[in-house]
Amino acid sequence: MEGAHGGHPMTAFDAELAKARKDISALELLAQRDPRDPEKRVRLAYRQFHQASLTGSESDFRAAKQTCAEMIRDFGPKEDICLLEANIAGRFHCLAEARQALQMCPSLARRMAGRSLLADLDFQEGRYDQAHAAWEDLIAEQRTWDNLARLAHWKGKLGQIDEADQLYEEAAGDLTAKEMRSFAWIEVQRGALALSHGRPNQARAHYERASRSYSGHWYTDEHLAGSLAAEGKPEEALALLQKVSARVPKPELKQTCGELLRFLGRADEAQPWLQAAEQAYLSSAQEGAVHYYHHLADFYADAGSQPAEAVKWARKDVALRANFSTQSALAWALYQSGDAAEGLAWIRRALASGVQDAGIFATASAIFNACGDAAEGGRYARAAAAINPNGQNFHMHH
Amino acid sequence: MADHNDPNAVNSIFSDIDYSAADLYDLFGFPTNGNRSALLALTFSATPRAGELDSDVLYRLLLTSHPRVAFAKPPEVSLESLLGYFEAVKDKYLGELKTAEVRVTVLKDQRALLKFIGFPGGNFSTEIAFDQVVPIKTPDGQTIQAFIGGRDDAFFNDLTGFFRSINYAPQFYHVPHTMTEARELPIPKTLLELEGNDLFNYRPDLPKWGFTQRDGTTPKLDLPPGPWEWKGNRFKKDADGNYRFVYDGSDCRAGQNCNAIILEIPHSFITKDTGRDRIVNAWGESWVLKAAHKVESIPDEPSWLKHPWKVLRERELDDELRQYKLVDTDGQPFADAALSEREDDRQLGANNFWLGPHFVKRLAHLGWGFGPSISALGLETSFDHDHSPVSVHRVYDSAIAAFPRATRTLFQPLNMPDDSWNPKGLDIPLRRPFEIFVPNVCAIDMDTTGTWPFGRRLEDQVATRFLAMFLDMSASLNGKPYHLDLLGDPALWAAAPIVPKTPPNPLKNDKEFLATFPYLADPWPGAW
Repeated sequence: MEGAHGGHPMTAFDAELAKARKDISALELLAQRDPRDPEKRVRLAYRQFHQASLTGSESDFRAAKQTCAEMIRDFGPKEDICLLEANIAGRFHCLAEARQALQMCPSLARRMAGRSLLADLDFQEGRYDQAHAAWEDLIAEQRTWDNLARLAHWKGKLGQIDEADQLYEEAAGDLTAKEMRSFAWIEVQRGALALSHGRPNQARAHYERASRSYSGHWYTDEHLAGSLAAEGKPEEALALLQKVSARVPKPELKQTCGELLRFLGRADEAQPWLQAAEQAYLSSAQEGAVHYYHHLADFYADAGSQPAEAVKWARKDVALRANFSTQSALAWALYQSGDAAEGLAWIRRALASGVQDAGIFATASAIFNACGDAAEGGRYARAAAAINPNGQNFHMHH
Repeated sequence: MADHNDPNAVNSIFSDIDYSAADLYDLFGFPTNGNRSALLALTFSATPRAGELDSDVLYRLLLTSHPRVAFAKPPEVSLESLLGYFEAVKDKYLGELKTAEVRVTVLKDQRALLKFIGFPGGNFSTEIAFDQVVPIKTPDGQTIQAFIGGRDDAFFNDLTGFFRSINYAPQFYHVPHTMTEARELPIPKTLLELEGNDLFNYRPDLPKWGFTQRDGTTPKLDLPPGPWEWKGNRFKKDADGNYRFVYDGSDCRAGQNCNAIILEIPHSFITKDTGRDRIVNAWGESWVLKAAHKVESIPDEPSWLKHPWKVLRERELDDELRQYKLVDTDGQPFADAALSEREDDRQLGANNFWLGPHFVKRLAHLGWGFGPSISALGLETSFDHDHSPVSVHRVYDSAIAAFPRATRTLFQPLNMPDDSWNPKGLDIPLRRPFEIFVPNVCAIDMDTTGTWPFGRRLEDQVATRFLAMFLDMSASLNGKPYHLDLLGDPALWAAAPIVPKTPPNPLKNDKEFLATFPYLADPWPGAW
């Protein structure tokens, strides 16, 4: 497809985004012409969500959310809209809000889409067995690609890497040429799974296949940069990431650019990137959003070197959704702030989930060592190295 | 360690359901050239537009030719004998019959690649341009006429009336995609409006309600909260004592296009023994390229232990088909929409044998709706509804319970309106419903005109003929036995206590068919 981009072929991402925008313009007109037609407005909300999923832009998500809110005001809680609202809320870590949206239409709890989302929330809130059982049930009823991918994610986190990859492969096999973005998304997940287990070449192959199957998506490039960094090519990773950051206004990309620059010994250059990321995170939190709590904890524990702040944000996050990820982040923040004892309690909770993650094991190793348990510290260090021998290399935050 | 992109970011929740080039509309099939050739026309959604085909979709036209064999009349009409028939057909289809196919894929330059596979004259392939009649020479020196491209959609039908008859809510109401239970609402199916069926009865203040407009929109209402039931006990009548017909005879596909694969194939290319093999069975399939094969060839052999059914099916496929996913099938009109409820996992095409018991249950369910409607009009019905004065909503869990009600509907020979279908006056048995729908193929009898159910001609009003299955074909009207076109006779409706006084569906297509190949009319400019 030519045009629009200075004679360069339009990427699959650009083409899909252009179509989404065109559809939104047309639907906005139709919705204005007949505001009492809920079907047009439902389509508008879903197209807005589609656009937001492509751009990753918070303002685009806000637009979709606004349309949902207006629809509920005008028409009452309809299943499609409540499902969309719950999905957006879940995406932004507003788990209570997501449950509330689902509860507005109690029948959603019986639907496959509603049950999938409830299982996502269970996983986020640390009810791993419940989530696992729900996905197994859903898959037994219908082997849809998205639930296969959800179960794959669960298995990947719990250390069943081969099964996870097989599930991803099966999910990909169910997709057609009309779903190339989803196919690329699965390839990225397979890449991330491989990378987290010290298989950078395999990861790179998946990311490159993702890029070939659905060209131009920043999400793939972001992960490709992570793969380059893990392969010990931080300069290349930085160059790619800076390009991505110029396209997508996500502060976590800025943080990573800053960390990469610092890793390369270019601390002065790193500073504006890190400051921009910090400012964006804080602004978001000040506006009441909660989805950057995790990043704030991570930022202050490492790049920001303000462990007390890290603990503050990590506690807020774990209060919202107590899972191995937030528990481990709080443990790390506490350890950095000198409170290894409480850190030990939190990392024990994370480990009790059964998670098999090199990063979490490395955190556990450091905390056990700090608490004087060298045996456990050594055991977790070896476990981390067994999962990912390259774990000490630069790794990115997605 | 952030987690914004974990699986809760999977964008799989409902978005818009786009039109798909894989959506098959119809399969027409009838003899031409003095019954020496079979005309086959597979029509499908004009996506992206009429005359332009989607290069990710592969179409198949599958063909077998075999003798006209009347299955042995069972000693008694029973569910066992019916299921035995389905088993015998299955063995025939999965065993002795060899299936040939024409496979169509779209090349990059909007030309079609046609592969002729499994025909007695040998395999070969050729490329043709779209929107033109192209003669194709076969290896054995015969000529196949081919046309691939945009056409006027040859389907003429009061779809809205049909949806009203089965109380199909999404045609009339904004029904969220999630609410699968709010499709066919639990209200008796009927040909006559039910008194107090406010959810579906015609509303003079909303004449366009439920009718898809030229711009693709359909005026709908908000679905009121349930329960969506009907508590009445009679058909609705107006002050003059007339019933209200759920149909008004509109052509809901008027002015709309389709894309089509149209082939005129010499019978002698399909079988070497045309004298013996007087039946040509055909069905169509659409397959969409798998994502993995869009990017490159990736081995995707499924695990035998986890998915034995999938492995078995995959093994039947050749290398090319393994790159695609079966999406839609088409053989008989209404086999999906009316009998299989168009569920995705029932897209089995000719291999729909296992739906036999479901077919019995669904036919009985429809019979409880349409049977009493027919009786109320003073006509005789083939369905045993115990003289019910009004349509009944009844769902069967068991084919055993449903079978006695539907026995006559299943087994009665369907009378033709006259003898024109059998121009040679041969001893050809009339077809019976159970033979028509299982297997789901268009079975062209090469000694007939190919009018439905001996094939399907373009001018056949198959929707009205489908309803006629519920007439008692042993009854007579004005001295003439009931027949498949009885409900399409304007005189019948003119005399009936009903408004509007119209046959249920239009009597002809909105555009004249062509007298010569490709027979389907030219596409409408600017339509899709």
